[in-house]
Amino acid sequence: MLQATGLSKSFGGVRAVRNVSLAVPEKSIFALIGPNGAGKSTLLNLLSGIYQPDAGDLAFDGRDLIGMPAYQRVRLGVARTFQKIRLFKQLTLIENVRAGFHVHEDTPFWQYLVRGSTGRFDAEARELLEFVGLGARAHQRAGALPYGQQRMLEVARALATRPRLFMLDEPAAGLNAAEVEFLLERLAEIARRGVTLLVVEHNMDLVMNVAQRVFVMDHGEPLFEGTPREVQAHPAVVSAYLGGEFAA
Amino acid sequence: MRRAGFFLGALIIIAALPWLISTPYWRGILVLCAMNVLLALSLNLVMGYTGQLNLGQSAFYAIGAYVSTILIKTYHWNFWLAGLAAIVAAGFLGLALAAFAARLRGHYLAIASLGFAVITYQVLVNWESVTEGVRGIYGISSPVRGTVPLFYLVAGIALVVYALMDNLVRSPVGDTLRAIREDEVSAASLGVNGAIWKAFAFGVCAAIAGLAGCFYPGFVGTLVPDAFNIVESFTMLAMVIVGGIGTMIGPVIGAVVLTFLPELLRGFGELRLMIYGVALTLVVLFLPGGIASCFKRRA
Repeated sequence: MLQATGLSKSFGGVRAVRNVSLAVPEKSIFALIGPNGAGKSTLLNLLSGIYQPDAGDLAFDGRDLIGMPAYQRVRLGVARTFQKIRLFKQLTLIENVRAGFHVHEDTPFWQYLVRGSTGRFDAEARELLEFVGLGARAHQRAGALPYGQQRMLEVARALATRPRLFMLDEPAAGLNAAEVEFLLERLAEIARRGVTLLVVEHNMDLVMNVAQRVFVMDHGEPLFEGTPREVQAHPAVVSAYLGGEFAA
Repeated sequence: MRRAGFFLGALIIIAALPWLISTPYWRGILVLCAMNVLLALSLNLVMGYTGQLNLGQSAFYAIGAYVSTILIKTYHWNFWLAGLAAIVAAGFLGLALAAFAARLRGHYLAIASLGFAVITYQVLVNWESVTEGVRGIYGISSPVRGTVPLFYLVAGIALVVYALMDNLVRSPVGDTLRAIREDEVSAASLGVNGAIWKAFAFGVCAAIAGLAGCFYPGFVGTLVPDAFNIVESFTMLAMVIVGGIGTMIGPVIGAVVLTFLPELLRGFGELRLMIYGVALTLVVLFLPGGIASCFKRRA
């Protein structure tokens, strides 16, 4: 579904992503792991269009994504969340989610001069809030939510764009055990509904339990790709995570 | 129905004002006030809803005034047609400024827009063959006879603009603009084309400022560049902030207060500007959400 070939991105002298090729199969849960600074977030930014690569090819459903800005990729069905939460803090929960629906909107703006209405998205937005367990808080300010719920709100907001490929950047970061469990259950449900997931994650439970494929990066380069079981057993991966001396 | 009540109330207040305020001088202030409401309302769309600092508002106001006046005086156009041309011209200049806004953020955009206002002012001063420079253009007639009809006209337009904008910010377009204000990267991740919507906000803002500008020359009777000094941009900015940025009613309150306050303080002579300055500082210090935030808390 998503096909990257030889993606590279440098910032000054730092080669954050070097020659990464990966293929995310349709209707799968694909995990992207690696130690801090491995280039996972940069790669996700390349995939979502926040950055453009210095070299390499990228295609989604056979459509070339190189040069296509982030907002256009969303229209093809590629959505994402951020590692450092980027909610619309001053807006209410429902306004946050509603903003995600407007990508489907093709009503010209002048029609709203006469009749200002967001009504037709409110019901759907509320449904998504219920889905992530925030239905009761629809009219609170997003910035006032506890951290874990802010993450779930970001998930709901991205889902509003009705993605086919949903990329999450460390969705479990900062969540407590109960919240992680809820997140896992929701991600599984999203996947069941036919959405392909690409998850950047440190939380090994999440990676090992829900992912079908795991892609390991280190120092900006691909290290290994395989099933969770293969990854766990791979000496180079263990070495990258735990330090050289633990390598088998 | 609450909204219908609100607009009915506003209509009654507009209708009654010239009868409550009967001296010609204060009726003139009413007309100025209605223009300032238009300027503050439109500036708030860019600043309050889209989150882009714009210090170029005085330039759009000036374009509206000069383009309409020159078309009427030099080319003998009819007022309404000239006004329409002036609105379009100001709107296009707004789009030109938006081209910068697509690349610049925060303070940088503020400086670019300020530069834009300075350039416009200098052009008005120096392009004498067209604008008459500091000599000014004289004997400009108003589209309607008398101060009260002019007030009704401008205030009526302001009310219509308010109603349209109120609809707009409560529509999906409003959601989109607010998303850009809060976080542009995030907005892009939801499929929002920030550059296009910023251009939209700047274009609409500039066109409405141009619309306000059409009425200014006829009201004063003369047109000189000094009326569009860059200080005016800051006054409009103060109206938005003092009234309540990002709310619909705020800029209206701000425009009314900052139009009437300096006039009411005339009795204090030299002390006037000092009291004005202290009052502004106090509002910003103790009411960061502007005057409108007092009403919100009770509601």
